[in-house]
Amino acid sequence: MIIAVSGKGGTGKTVIASLLVRCLAEHNAYDILAIDSDPDSNLPEALGVDVERTIGDIREELLEKRDSLPPGVSWRSQLEYEAMRAIVETRAFDLLSMGRPEGPGCYCAANHVLREIIDTFAKNYDYVVIDTEAGLEHLSRRTTQNVDVMLVVTDTSKRGITTAARIKELAEELKIKFKHIYVVINRATEETKQKLEEYAREIGLKVIGVVPEDENVRHYDHEGKPLVELPPDTPALKAVREIAEKIVR
Amino acid sequence: MDEEIPVDVGLIYEGERIRKSNMYVDLAGPKSKGAELLIVAPPEEVEDGKVEVVGPDIDAMEEGGRYPLGIFIKVAGEKLEEDLEGVFERRIHDFSNYVQGFMHLNSRDIIWCRVSKDSAKKGLKLYHVGKALIKLYKSEFDVIEKMQVTFYTDEKAVDEHIARAREVYEKRDAKAAALKDEEVDVFYGCLLCQSFAPTHVCAITPSRTSGCGAISWFEGRAAVKVDPNGPIFEIPKGEVLDPIKGEYSGINEVIREKSNGAIERVYLHSIFDYPHTSCGCFEAIAFYIPEVDGIGIVHRDFQGVTPFGIPFSTMAGQVGGGVQSQGFLGIGIAYLRSPKFLQADGGWQRIVWMPSQLKERVRDAIPEEMYDKIATELEASDLESLKEFLKQKQHPVLERLAEEEAEEEAAEEETREQEAQPVATLPELTLPAQGMPVAGSPSEFTITFKNAKIYAEKVIIRRKG
Repeated sequence: MIIAVSGKGGTGKTVIASLLVRCLAEHNAYDILAIDSDPDSNLPEALGVDVERTIGDIREELLEKRDSLPPGVSWRSQLEYEAMRAIVETRAFDLLSMGRPEGPGCYCAANHVLREIIDTFAKNYDYVVIDTEAGLEHLSRRTTQNVDVMLVVTDTSKRGITTAARIKELAEELKIKFKHIYVVINRATEETKQKLEEYAREIGLKVIGVVPEDENVRHYDHEGKPLVELPPDTPALKAVREIAEKIVR
Repeated sequence: MDEEIPVDVGLIYEGERIRKSNMYVDLAGPKSKGAELLIVAPPEEVEDGKVEVVGPDIDAMEEGGRYPLGIFIKVAGEKLEEDLEGVFERRIHDFSNYVQGFMHLNSRDIIWCRVSKDSAKKGLKLYHVGKALIKLYKSEFDVIEKMQVTFYTDEKAVDEHIARAREVYEKRDAKAAALKDEEVDVFYGCLLCQSFAPTHVCAITPSRTSGCGAISWFEGRAAVKVDPNGPIFEIPKGEVLDPIKGEYSGINEVIREKSNGAIERVYLHSIFDYPHTSCGCFEAIAFYIPEVDGIGIVHRDFQGVTPFGIPFSTMAGQVGGGVQSQGFLGIGIAYLRSPKFLQADGGWQRIVWMPSQLKERVRDAIPEEMYDKIATELEASDLESLKEFLKQKQHPVLERLAEEEAEEEAAEEETREQEAQPVATLPELTLPAQGMPVAGSPSEFTITFKNAKIYAEKVIIRRKG
């Protein structure tokens, strides 16, 4: 199952994605791949993992090298090998980082091949959690395909929820099929919670969970401590655990 | 599939990747070493069905361990040729991946394998992988009559195997690099860029790598095998219409069809008349410099300006988009190494300018006597300094230029006698701005020419349909 976590910058998308990875990994019952596909995010830090090479690095290296590869060596197999090498393997989950966006060269062929390779990788996991670029860009470029569950993280503003609605519309226009699209309201307080849930329902969106403001999250974030190390009973983690349970079911 | 093999074998396991947490052992790969090699041998040197493991097999390996790995396959058969070795060898990847709980990546001396905990628990050994390989190869290729597999996991044996394999790879590569368009029946086409340039079809032959540089003829062949209905497809070569310019009926036909008739003919090895189109993602541009009757080359990474006074980026705007632009050609850097490189236009003898970085990068491809005669941005930043440099170095284009000048003088006298006549005179001509370089939405503009006189060097009138 592929779960994409999207949302505008500053909504806490990466917090939700990393906590979701932690919750899914909690009982060691599943094979999990986390994909960091937002160059501006810090999913690896949130997961407490060091990334040496990204898919972007590999792409650049091989674009540079390819006209000197011997004719009997396939550029495609080479990309696959390097992509496998770039996966950081931990006991609980694996992580693949997409890295920086493209430079001025041509990436049609490279991206096409890499997409196929990553699709193949993804099939080997029970759950793939993608921390995807903020906003609508990734949808219009159709880089997030075949997603089972799309979680749109929003802050507690009405505008945030409207954005979620636009993501849904755009996905329909582009004929991208999400099996489910849900809203996650982040950093909510009791009073905002109800109003927002109501508003979301009005415009036809389903709220899968409301994550409360959490002192611990703010503290860890501030200190640069991995969010996966949060105490198990901290309110935000408990809320995400409920979301994870709903998805798994 | 086989009683002897303790796990399943089948196509469904092909995309299997084994995570570290599910892995029993790691074989070869980036932190160890290994190689695979398949050779065609005389029948008396192949013991059919034999699988040998030199060094510990999986059951004797430590869980979580990392070991070097060599795979050596010998095949024999009456109809087998050495040329098939590379093609067969590449199938080790597919076939060994069919074995449940066995992962195989890449090829040659960059392989990486893993065995899963589950399959190791079931008793899977390299011996079984070998048995599966023999069965799969033989059922896929009737021409293989005998086959023998040896695995090496003993470090010294692996080292020897790698050395032997590298010798064979080198020989094969030398042969492949010399592969000519004349020696193959099939070329490849690529439509990956059509979303950007709907009339662009990339023709890929042994002597012409794709404009983006990513797809060589070998890569095309491999891609078609992976995905026969994908954006890369076979082009039957057809008839050779012009061996020098590189015009083939098969390529013309496919390009006409896939460009919806926008492009009729293509010369693979010329920047004039019917140059190959590009999408905009070429690695370099070859451009004609009429002032010296030579050709310059500029690549994407070059930040400075060409002798025309414009940088790569400006020139790129004129070249891409799937149109044929006279005197401009988008190319992959690998094409500079092609033995047929712009052969219709004089090849390297016609090249007058390229950025120093690019010149250094393809140094080995430039004929020795030409190397010093090609200017870079260090010697020539404009047309004047370029002319000066070429004269100083006695560049062969000077001879052409001298000949042409003499011809032109003669021709000029003729034309002076008859004043040029407009091919059309129109009191008023209105054009929609579609396709015109006008800012804003095209449908909002029309352009009107009053008292228009149109002069043309040549007028072509074609019957439609």
